[in-house]
This record gives sequence, C-alpha cells and structure tokens, in this order.
Amino acid sequence: MTLLWLRLAVILYGVAALAVLPAALYNRPRWRHIAVPAAFLGAFFHFVSIAETLYAAHRALPVDTHETLSMLGLLLVVGFLILAARYRTVSFGIFLLPIAVLLAIVPAFHPGHEEISYPLVRTGWILLHIALLLAAYAAMFLSLIASLLYLIQERRLKEKRAESQRGWLPPLETLDQIGLNSLRFGLPCMTAGLLIGSVLALQSIGPAFFADPKVLLSIAMWIAYILMIYIRSNSGLRGRRAVYLSSFVFLVMVAVWAANSLSAVHRFKTP
Amino acid sequence: MNDTTRDTTHDLPIEAAAHSVPHSSRLLLLGVNHTTAPIAVRERLAIPGHRLADATRTLADQPGIREALILSTCNRVEILTVQDGVDQEHAELRAGLQAPTLSVIKFLHDYLQIRETDLEPHVYEYRERDAIRHLFRVASSLDSMVVGEPQILGQVKQSWTVGREVGAVKTMLDPLLQRAFSVAKKVRTETQIGNTTVSVASVAAELARKIFGSLSGKTVLLVGAGKMSDLTARHLIQQGATTLLVANRTEAKAQSIADALRTPAITTGVIPLDQLHEQAHRADIVITSTGAGQVFTPESARAVLQRRKNRPVFFIDIAVPRDVAPEVNKVDGCFVYDIDDLQQVAMQNKAVRNREAEAAESIVTREVARYTDRISQAPVTESIKELLLSAEEVRQHEIARTLHQLAGQPLTAEQLSAIERLTKSLTGKLLHPQIAALRELAAERESDDQA
Repeated sequence: MTLLWLRLAVILYGVAALAVLPAALYNRPRWRHIAVPAAFLGAFFHFVSIAETLYAAHRALPVDTHETLSMLGLLLVVGFLILAARYRTVSFGIFLLPIAVLLAIVPAFHPGHEEISYPLVRTGWILLHIALLLAAYAAMFLSLIASLLYLIQERRLKEKRAESQRGWLPPLETLDQIGLNSLRFGLPCMTAGLLIGSVLALQSIGPAFFADPKVLLSIAMWIAYILMIYIRSNSGLRGRRAVYLSSFVFLVMVAVWAANSLSAVHRFKTP
Repeated sequence: MNDTTRDTTHDLPIEAAAHSVPHSSRLLLLGVNHTTAPIAVRERLAIPGHRLADATRTLADQPGIREALILSTCNRVEILTVQDGVDQEHAELRAGLQAPTLSVIKFLHDYLQIRETDLEPHVYEYRERDAIRHLFRVASSLDSMVVGEPQILGQVKQSWTVGREVGAVKTMLDPLLQRAFSVAKKVRTETQIGNTTVSVASVAAELARKIFGSLSGKTVLLVGAGKMSDLTARHLIQQGATTLLVANRTEAKAQSIADALRTPAITTGVIPLDQLHEQAHRADIVITSTGAGQVFTPESARAVLQRRKNRPVFFIDIAVPRDVAPEVNKVDGCFVYDIDDLQQVAMQNKAVRNREAEAAESIVTREVARYTDRISQAPVTESIKELLLSAEEVRQHEIARTLHQLAGQPLTAEQLSAIERLTKSLTGKLLHPQIAALRELAAERESDDQA
C-alpha cells in the first residue's frame, strides 16, 4: 500500500506540474483549479506513504537516500501550496512541482532496500535534526527560485515588453518578499537542526566530530546563510546580485548534501 | 399546458401537446449605442438610475408586453422585451416598423417625449436568436466602446435586479439574463479579453503593480504639471497609492495640484524643485513632465536608489523632450517608461484584446446555439413527459379494471409481471411514433424561426 500511495502522489504531482503550465504561462486560471488541488492531494498521499513507511520500519524518520529525497519533495510541494495560498501565485510550481516529481519518482517506482543500522534512528532528536535541515534546504531552494524569477521579471520590465504586464510572474516586490521570508524561515530551522545534530554527534563520537568534512561544510553553510540574510536585509540586495549570492549558498548546501558520502559522522563511525 | 393532455381517456393528446410548444411569445431588442447614435440622441434617451424602476414598470405595463428590461448606460440605451406573438403575415406595418417595435417606440415617445422620426435613423432592432446573441455580446463587453471593459456586466446586472424588483423580468427574461451573465463570465475566464489595459494612464498603473504588487502605501512624486501626468497620478491614487508629492517650477502651482488631489485618505506635500534630488528617494513612483530635459541621469538615479536601500523606483516620463535619461533604465532597480513606451504597450494590449475578442465571439456563438436549442427543446420535453404520464395513467387504469373483473381468480406473481411487461411494451410501441412526430415538429418550428 505504501508504494501505491507514493505512486498516486507522483501521478498527482505530475498532473499538477502539467496543469500549472497553462495556469501560469498562458494565464488560464481554470488550470489553477486543477494544479492546486492535485498538488494538495498528492502531498496528502505522499504524507500517508511516508508515515506508513516509517511506521512499518518502526522508526520515525527518513534515513535512507530515497526516503530523504522523497521527504524533501514533499516539503517543496508544501512550500508551493503555502505560496499559492499566501501570495495567490502558482508560478513557483513551474519549478517546484517537476522537482518534486523527480524526487519522488525513484522511490515510487524503484524502491531501494538500504539496511539502516544506525543506533539513533529511533530517537525523536534525530527526527527533529533531519526535519529541520530538510525544511532549511527547501526554504533555501524556494529563495533561489524567487531570486531567479525576480531576475526574469526585472528583465521583462526593463525590456518593456507588453507580456511583462500580463505575464505569469508575480510582482517584483512579492518575489523579493518570498525570497527573504523563505530565508528568514530557513535560518532558525538550519540553526536548530545543526545544533541538535552537533550535540548528538558529540555524544556518540566526541571531539573528533569537528574534523568531519561534512561538519566543516555545514558550519560554512550556516555562516553563508547568515551572511546572505544580513546582506539582503541591510543593503536591499536584489536582482542579479541576489541570484549570485543565493546560487553560491545553494551550491554550498549541495556540497553539504554530497558530503554525506564522505562523512564519518553520518555513517556513525568513529574516524 | 392544455388540459387535453391530462385527459385519461383513450385519446392520445398529440395535437394538444404540439400546440403547447409556445410559439406565441416574441423576444425583441431595440436600442441605440455609441456607434449608431450621437451623444445628443443618447442623452435624450438615457434613463437615470433613480428613474429606471419606474421606466421599466411603465414599459412592462404597455399592452402586448409580457416582460421588459431597460439597460441605460452612457454608451447605450437598450430595451429588451418579451411580447405577445404577432404572426408575421398579419403584423401591422407602419413606417417599416412592425407592431411589437411600435409598442416600444410608443413607450419611448410617451415616456421620454421623443418623436419616432428622431429615433428611427439610429435605432437597431434584433429579434429572437439575434436578440439573444446581441444580449450575450453586450454582457460580455464585445459590443462596448472599449472592448473587454468590465463595467457593462455590472450595469446589465443592475438592470436585471431592477427588472426583477418591479416584476418585469420573469420566466423568460430571467433565465436568459442569467445565461448572459454566465456567458460573460466564461468569456472573461476563458479569454484574456479583460486582462490588458489600453490607456496610457492605466498601463502605467498596471506596470506599477507589476513592480510593487499592491500600490497601497506607495508614494507618487509628480515633477512638473501637465494634463497627462495629472491623469496618471490620479489613476495611481485610485489604484491605492496613498501619498502624493508635487515638485514644480512655481511652488504655488505645485501647491494647487497638491490641494486638488488631497483627500482624507491621501497625504500630499510639496517639494521645492531645487531639492528634488535630495527628496526623490521618498517616492516609489516618479512621474515627470517638465520637458526641461535630463532631470534624472544615471548618477542621480543611483543616488536615489542608494538612499532607498535599493528598493525599486518606477520613472514614468511623460515629457518631450524626455526628463529621464534612457540610460537610467539600465540601473539595477530603476524602471523607466517614456510616453512612447507606454503607448506602445497600450497598442500591443489593444491588439491582444482584438485577438481575444475573436475567441470570445466563438464562445458567444456556441452559447447562443446551446441556449436556443435548450429553449426550443424544453416545451417538447415537457409535452413528452405529459404524454408518457397520461399513457401510464391509462395503462394503470386498464390493469386495475382487468384485475377487478378477475377478482374471483387471483393471479400469480409471474402472471402479474407478464401483464406489466405486456402493457408497458404496448404503450411504448404505441407512443413511439407520436413522440418522434413531436420532436420533428419542434425541429421544423426551430428551422422556421431561424429562416
């Protein structure tokens, strides 16, 4: 049943990803009434699938790669739904929904069978650590998309094309708010997620924890994140420069994610 | 419905049912609009809002008029009536007008004291399907001076409300008007006919919204005085801007503009022209119309942006020669539209509207066909229902009579079921040609009406 729910979610995300194109790009509001409910239903079935998986495995958190990616996909769809409700825009769905499909399609149709033997996987603190960091990743990704859309809309307005007036993109100030608010939401998530992870790792590994490449990259990511919010809030950084900055922090995040394979901490081995 | 159809005798009431198809009411629309009548005629015909109820009631009380609706706007006056049918061959013809038309003209003459000869060259007249089509087009804003403008739908709804209140809009006009509203909604949602703005001032306001989202709380700076810049500023205020600053060579003139635009909700102020660059950062939208040339250069624009912490600024340059150097548009966060840019966007938007109007016309054509089909089929469906009901009553009556005669010999369940099947099959087969004839008759009438 778990796979069935997940497959259903992927199909619904696919429907939403297709419906969002005419809704946003061709200004056909009827399609919005398909895209948003399909994404909502997809998120619901996705949640049911994840909950069933974790319940069946007698644990409360996603730990293998597929589960984690799938959870990130769910968070991105939730982000899309929040933006659709709060800012009345479905433009973000053009990017978020296909990515959610990609993140969920592999576990849905080629489920992995990773054996998880971490001693801490059944503790609530690890759940918080992972959930908070995934939320921070999703927020960062939203912010990056908002910056990219800002850049596109800015160009269209500067090129004085009539399409910029009736186009699919939200107003510049709305995009700016979405970008900044996403970062502001992501910062406490990332800070708390990293702190919880650090305490747990210190308890199980000891001071050697700080020599781990993933840990070092995570600290760099956190500093970059804070710097980005500081610069954006104080200098009003927008447009091209905001995209450069967001892209840089996003790359650091991807590096942190990739560092899982190099990390002793995340394999729960002492180096 | 004719009583004959309810008769439970053995006569099958096809003739009565056929006569029940209403062929006696006539839909007639008479009107003038901005294309057929000059304002001098339209203003004589215009019926102000406070007199609309009385006028509609008076019209509906005219002999031969069953239902009525009056639509009176600055661009059109239209009268839609449902009248008692008048056979084409026997219609009273006078001055080229038929009797139903004359009764409306007579109303206009009596109520508004307008002579028939004054009206005749300007009046258009639509009947039946053409009247439905015209109504759908008007409600969908396809017949408006500015195609796609949204006000007309509200005006039609207002007339409909008044018509219902005075009892002039009833069983025939009410569903027709409700259908017109849903067609108008369909046109709005399925085409982009209302999504573009076509005047310079409204294009500027729309662009401002694309930059700032809501204009609520935004500050507009008016540099110089001119008709177009004043109009644009007023438009931005209408769209939600709450503060207006005015800078002008003569401070008294600036003050008079500020005073003219001040309301309890709008804060206004005057900036001395020599302090323009120091104060410009307070404005989100700058409208310039001095014609003095190069009031804002890239350097001064950058200084403004720096003071605003890079929050965007929208320059609307209506002056010729231009007040804002074109290079300012290249500065990050500055958006410059001069009068040509705004006019070009307005023209492109007009082209989009015209393109969308074609799609909207197809929707209207489709909806007219659907509506007329439905109303032509409705009486037939009703008659068929009556026919079937009548036949069923006869069948039940005959079964009861037969069972009564066989009272001494009770039948088994299988036998009763066989009688049911037999009688149902018989009535079905007997009625089939009659129902087919009814449908054929309705179709013939529909094609006659269309011809």
